[in-house]
Amino acid sequence: MLVDEELLRRWALEDEEAREIRRRYANWEFIKNQPPRIRAALEYFIERGDRYVASKIAGVSLEEFDELRRKASIPVVI
Amino acid sequence: MIGVIDACFIIDWSRYRHRDLIKGLFDILYIHEEILAQLRSEISISFTSRLLAEGKLRLYPWTQSDEDEFLLLRSEIIANPRIPSLERPDLLCLIIARRANAILLSENIGIHRVIEFHPRYRNVKVWTALETLEHLVYRGLITLSSEEEFMRFVREYEQDTNHIFRKRRIETCLKRLRTWLRR
Repeated sequence: MLVDEELLRRWALEDEEAREIRRRYANWEFIKNQPPRIRAALEYFIERGDRYVASKIAGVSLEEFDELRRKASIPVVI
Repeated sequence: MIGVIDACFIIDWSRYRHRDLIKGLFDILYIHEEILAQLRSEISISFTSRLLAEGKLRLYPWTQSDEDEFLLLRSEIIANPRIPSLERPDLLCLIIARRANAILLSENIGIHRVIEFHPRYRNVKVWTALETLEHLVYRGLITLSSEEEFMRFVREYEQDTNHIFRKRRIETCLKRLRTWLRR
């Protein structure tokens, strides 16, 4: 199924804007002090904004990951 | 009005100080049992089970025909790298919303993108918490006389859940609200 180019360009811009906001608000000190798996999951979330996959990387439930996200001050940008 | 609620939305909304307002907005809210199984914290489980006990929230009776639609939809969107990964629970909610002609409550960006391009799903309405708050105003469940008062509810939601609504989304919402306030 094809998605038109204009839509793809808008989505790419939205993704970049959201990524910048998550990077800006994130508590990097908290993230750096986490065990490797959790740190990787939080960094993935900052890049992609996907809580479900991030929870799988962290090896925790979706809701447990969301608690970590809030502790790391990484906003959901919508 | 019928609503369908996804896991992230209920996890977030259950932490919102005005969470009970949602009960007045929908006649019925549907949840898939796989979504219910994703909830872990006391706050989201107790809010959800209270909605179930009050009959406001119901488990959606998933059928083989729904499952067939899931397999088809997954195959149609899986290859698109611009759609953030959409996992089974996300797609189940979208399918229920279309089948039940319901509003889907979701802040999953992938879901919002599917309805922008997919011909079968283009007419599904998906609300974030922002549009949910907006419709609480239209239904008289939030009484206000200015945009600033509305923004107080929005900021409270952002604080309680650590969310940030995009400026453009807020501006679009305020434009509709302004027209409504002038009526």
